[in-house]
Amino acid sequence: MPASLTATLRAVCILTAVTLLPACAANPARVGASNEPALAAIGDGTLAPGRHDLVVRGMSCPKCISNVDLQLKRIDGVVDPQVDMKNGRVVITVREGASPSRAAIARAIEDAGFTLAEIRSDAAAGGGR
Amino acid sequence: MRRVGSFAAVLACAAASTASAQEMLNMPAATLPSPGVLIPRGQARAYRFEDSQWLLEQAVRLEYGIARDLSIAADLPLHQGFFDAPRPSDGDFGLGDLDLSLELRILREDLNAIDTVRASIFAGAELPTGTGGFGGGSVDPFAGAVVTAIIGRHGFDASARYTFVTGGGHDHPIFASDTADDFVNLDLGYAYRLYPAEFGEEREGAWYATLELNSTFTTGGEHAVLLSPGLLLEAPSYAVELGLQVPVTQDLVHAPELRIGFVLGLRLIF
Repeated sequence: MPASLTATLRAVCILTAVTLLPACAANPARVGASNEPALAAIGDGTLAPGRHDLVVRGMSCPKCISNVDLQLKRIDGVVDPQVDMKNGRVVITVREGASPSRAAIARAIEDAGFTLAEIRSDAAAGGGR
Repeated sequence: MRRVGSFAAVLACAAASTASAQEMLNMPAATLPSPGVLIPRGQARAYRFEDSQWLLEQAVRLEYGIARDLSIAADLPLHQGFFDAPRPSDGDFGLGDLDLSLELRILREDLNAIDTVRASIFAGAELPTGTGGFGGGSVDPFAGAVVTAIIGRHGFDASARYTFVTGGGHDHPIFASDTADDFVNLDLGYAYRLYPAEFGEEREGAWYATLELNSTFTTGGEHAVLLSPGLLLEAPSYAVELGLQVPVTQDLVHAPELRIGFVLGLRLIF
């Protein structure tokens, strides 16, 4: 391997480590590629009991179903997530008496590793608030 | 008989291990566990070297999501050697060196329902936990980057990792990366979703054919480039992977030449 290439690779690696480690140590929740603008676009408020359609981007493999299931079921009041990978949709049901926030839904999808583009609530069922 | 029995034990260990999902068999991917999620992964490998020498390996990887875009991982291999002396022989067991690393996702562009492009950087160190002639005996830092793109039925991965070898290397190297020289791993991977052509609304598994080019180049001039075809079945809750590693080109001074490698992995996803 040429010495110049070795020196370049060493420099790149050192730069990577120097950038990565302090950033992670400072505040691990704030580093990385999270889509904060998309989170903000989902808006405030809560979801009423009933069915809601989540438009999700980036679910590219069967494992995605497990990830989305896991994160959404951690939210109090959200039951029975149904993932439709073909259309990028996740249908959730909010049980009676619960009112999960739109932000919590968006963060769950982000935590699962995907982008929540939109929440479509069923108006007949009470929809979003 | 002892070889067969030992190999069966190694495969049984692999089957008892668990892991994450759509990734190539022999290289990193820019995929991270969710925050608070621990993902174990196991693989069994069998390598046949020149002069009918064998190495069996059971590798366990534990990956934990610290934050949305940050994870920590530990990789620990268990080896069993059937080499000629002075390398481990007669089925001698030994731990390999433990890899500890942090991975930070720096890019996530979800383009539509399926397509996505992701990139991560990672850094860590190989710790001298090796026993029985399978360790390097030094703390060796490494850093690298990986890019993953999934476009329809096609998946692409590219990764580069540079490892600083701070000690004298393995007493008797088995791979190019075991020498006293720094080394670079350069990997390219392609996955094609064989089935289904399009995901439906039902929860169903997917079959992928994978093809990787895995390479190691040392600063001492040694190198090994392997072509690695594989098959991956991935369902929402488990994945099975099966693959081969065939040398394309090798220029090795300290390590024996590889003839072929076999990979078997089972992942259970919780």
